[in-house]
Amino acid sequence: MTDIRQLATDWDAIVVGAGPAGLAAARVLHSAGLSTLLIDENPAPGGQIWRAVTSTPLLDQSVLGLDYWAGLEPVRGAIGSGLAIATATSVWSADRGGQVGISCNGVTRMLTAKRVVIATGALERPFPVKGWTLPGVLTVGAAQGLLKSSGRVFSGRVVIAGCGPLLWLYAAQVLRAGGTIAHILDTTEAAQFRPASRGLAGFALSSYLAKGLALMAEVRRRVQVISRVTALEIEGQERATGVRFEARGRSGQVAADVVLVHQGIVPQVNLAMAAGVPYRWDAAQLCFAPVADESGQTPLARILVAGDGAGIAGWEAASARGTLAGIAAAQALGASGPVPNGRSERAQVRRKLRARGFLDRLYRPADAFRRPTGDVIVCRCEEVTAAEVEKGIDLGAIGPAQLKSYTRCGMGPCQGRLCGLTVTEMIAARRGLTPGEVGHYRLRAPVKPITLAELASLPADDAAVRAVVRN
Amino acid sequence: MQRSQSTGRDYDVAVIGGGLVGIAVAWGLARLGQRVAVLDEVDGAKRASRGNFALVWVQSKGLGMGEYAGWTVRSSNGWAGLADELGRETGVDVHFERPGGFHLALSERELEMRATSLKRLHNQPRMVGYETTMLTHSEIKRMLPDIGPDVVGGSYCPLDGHVNSQKLLRALHQGFAQLGGTYLPGSTALHIAQAGGGFSIKTTDGAVAAGKVVLAAGNANMALAPQVGLSVPMLPERGQIIVTERTERFLRHPVVTIRQTDEGTVMLGDSREETTDDRGANPQINSVMAARASRMFPRLARLNVVRTWSAIRVMTADGFPIYDQSVTHPGAFVVTCHSGVTLAANHAYDMAGMIARGALDPDVAVFSARRFDANAGA
Repeated sequence: MTDIRQLATDWDAIVVGAGPAGLAAARVLHSAGLSTLLIDENPAPGGQIWRAVTSTPLLDQSVLGLDYWAGLEPVRGAIGSGLAIATATSVWSADRGGQVGISCNGVTRMLTAKRVVIATGALERPFPVKGWTLPGVLTVGAAQGLLKSSGRVFSGRVVIAGCGPLLWLYAAQVLRAGGTIAHILDTTEAAQFRPASRGLAGFALSSYLAKGLALMAEVRRRVQVISRVTALEIEGQERATGVRFEARGRSGQVAADVVLVHQGIVPQVNLAMAAGVPYRWDAAQLCFAPVADESGQTPLARILVAGDGAGIAGWEAASARGTLAGIAAAQALGASGPVPNGRSERAQVRRKLRARGFLDRLYRPADAFRRPTGDVIVCRCEEVTAAEVEKGIDLGAIGPAQLKSYTRCGMGPCQGRLCGLTVTEMIAARRGLTPGEVGHYRLRAPVKPITLAELASLPADDAAVRAVVRN
Repeated sequence: MQRSQSTGRDYDVAVIGGGLVGIAVAWGLARLGQRVAVLDEVDGAKRASRGNFALVWVQSKGLGMGEYAGWTVRSSNGWAGLADELGRETGVDVHFERPGGFHLALSERELEMRATSLKRLHNQPRMVGYETTMLTHSEIKRMLPDIGPDVVGGSYCPLDGHVNSQKLLRALHQGFAQLGGTYLPGSTALHIAQAGGGFSIKTTDGAVAAGKVVLAAGNANMALAPQVGLSVPMLPERGQIIVTERTERFLRHPVVTIRQTDEGTVMLGDSREETTDDRGANPQINSVMAARASRMFPRLARLNVVRTWSAIRVMTADGFPIYDQSVTHPGAFVVTCHSGVTLAANHAYDMAGMIARGALDPDVAVFSARRFDANAGA
C-alpha cells in the first residue's frame, strides 16, 4: 500500500486509473520526462480488464485468454519504469484548476497537476429488473473480478442473464476454469440483428468477429442458452432462488443459486462530471460521455479523458487513446523528452470505433430492461421504485435534480452510479424529451467515500475559517 | 405527456418561482380557492430550495429589525399546523420537530461573542419576548450527551426546530397539484407586462396571463422586479453543506450548523462566501466545517461523507425579507427572503391570504423595500 504522505504535492501530470488507457498515458508522460503520478484504487495496476494480472492464480493462459495476458507487459513495464504509482488510492475529487483530492488508508491529500488525465474506465449498465437487489445476484463484471483475482467460480446452479460481449467472455472463462453454468438467458433482441448487420462491413474487418463467434460457439456447446428473452424477474425472499422469464412469447422458470446479470458497459463519468467537464448523450451507446477531441482533450484546459471512460471502444482502443492523451498533455506542457507521433494509435482508434458500431447495435439493451415499471427498484441506495419515479415525473420533475428533491432517488452513497441512466431515460421517455435534453444528475465531490476526519485533515486558510466561524 | 402551452387570461395569480417560497405561497393561494400557476425554471437552474439546511430557526434572528424576530416566532408557532395539514392532505410526513436548538461555542471567545450578540438582540426596541438561554458545557451535555470536550458552552432556544425540507417541497408541490394548481416547469419568466387589468408573462415556453403576479424567484427577482415597478436589492452569497452517510440516531436537538435528518444522515453547514457561482465547493471551507463538527461531536469523525455542495443563499441587502406590492403596477407582489423553510408557515397562510385579498397587512409594511430608499436618503 502506498504511503501517500510521502508523495510530492505538485506534479506535471496526474493520471487517474491504471487500466489500459491510464497505463499508456502515464508511460508517454513519464518517458517524456514529466513528473507523473499514476493513481488507482485497486491493489495493483491493470484496471478491470487486467485485474490481478501479476498475481492471479489462474496461470493457464488459455483460461482468461490472450486479451487478459496482453496486460502483463504494460503492467510490469509501468511498475519497473520508475513511474510513481499510488495503488489502493481513491481519487475523490478533481477540479478545473488541476486540484486532485486523494485518499488512502485513512489519509487524505490535495495534490495539484498541470494536466489531469481521467482514465476511469467503464462500469456496467444498471439492469433494473424485479429482484435485482436480492442477495445472490451479482453483475457479471463483479463475478469476473473474483475469477481473475482469486480464481473463484460459483458452485451451485449459476444462471447468467442479459447480453453483451463480456457475458460470453465470462461464460467461456468460467467453463475453461472448470466451473459450470446452468443457463444463459440471452436478452439480445431479435430485431437488432438486421440493423446491426449494417455495420457488419466494418465489423468484419476487425478481430472482434472471429473472437466473438468462437466464444459463443464454445459456450453454446456446454450451456443451455435460452435466447430472445423479453422479460425477466429474479425470484426469492431472503436471496435469489430462481429466474422467471419470457422468451419467444412463452414464459418459463429456472432455479438458481447465483444469478449474474449484465447488459453492457458504459463510461464511468462521475469524476469527469464532478470536475465540470461538459458531457453529451451518445445515442448509439445509450450513455453519457464527456465532451473531448480525438486526443481526449476536454474543453477544460487542464483535463483530458482517455479510454472507455471517454466512450466504450474496448481495451485496444483504450490503450491507443491513453497514448494519444499522453502525447497531447506532454506537448501542451512542452516536454523535453521524446514524445511519439501517435499516427498508428489514431488509426487504431478509428478502426476500433468502426467495428464498435456493430456491437452497439447488436447488443443495444431492450427498452424494457432500461426503463423499468411498477415496483422494480430503480435507486438501490434509497429504495425508490419505478412507480415512485414516475409519480415524481408526473408531479412536475423535468430533470433528475427536481426528481431527487421529490423522491430522494440518487441521493445515496453510490451518487447515482446505479440509477443515473435509468432515471434520465425514464424522464426522457415520459416527457417526450431526448436523454441529452434531460441531462444527468449533478455530481459533486466526494465521488468516492472519504470520512469526515479525512476531510477535516485538509489544510484551510484564514478566509475559509472566516467563512464558517461566526456569531 | 404534452408540454404546457398557455395562452389567454388563465389564472387568478401567477407565481414566478417554484422553490419553497413560491410553492408555499402558491399552495396557500390554491387552498383559498384561487386559480394559480407556478412558473419554474429548467432543472439545472440555481436553486436555494435544494441547498437549504432545513432548520425552522428562531434564535439569533432579527438583530437590526425587531419585527423580523416577531415574524419568525410567528412562523415557528404556525409550523406544527402547517405540517399537520400537509400530512393530512398529501400523506407526506415532512418530519417537523421543535425540540429546541443549540448554538455551540468552541472557545471562551466564541461563547462571549455569542452572549453579547444575544443580549443586543433581545435588548432591541420592538423585540418579541422569548427565551434564549446561555448554557455551560455540563448543562449542554445533559441534553446532547455526545458533545466533545472542546464545546465550552452555547445557547439554547426552545422554539428552534427542523424539518425534512425535501419532503416539504414534495408535500407542497403535491398539495398544490391536488388543489388544482398548475405547475409549469421549464417556463422561465422573461418579461412581465400589464395587460387587460392583469399581467401577461412571457416565458421560455409560451405566455401566461394572470390577474396578479407574485415574484418569488430568489435572485432572479432582481431582473423581473423593475419591470413591474418593484425593487429587490440582493447580495451575492453562497453557502456550503456536507452530508454524511446514515448513522444511528444520536442528535435529539438540531444545532445551528449540525442536524441529523429523519433518515439518519447528518448535515453540516453552513458557510458564507460572497459569490453566486454554485458550480463547485471550496474544499478548504469543507475542511473547516468538518473539523469544527468533529470537535463538537467526535463520533462524526468516522462517518463517510456522501456529498458536499454549494448553493446560493437568497440574501437581501440587509438580510431581512422583502414583501411588497407595486405602487405603479398594483397586483404585482414580491416575496423574497433567506429563510424559506422557517417562514413557510407565514408564507402559506398569512402571505397567501394578503395576496388573495390584494393588499399587504400594515404589520408587514416594515418589510417593504422602501426601507432601503430611506437608508439611502439618510
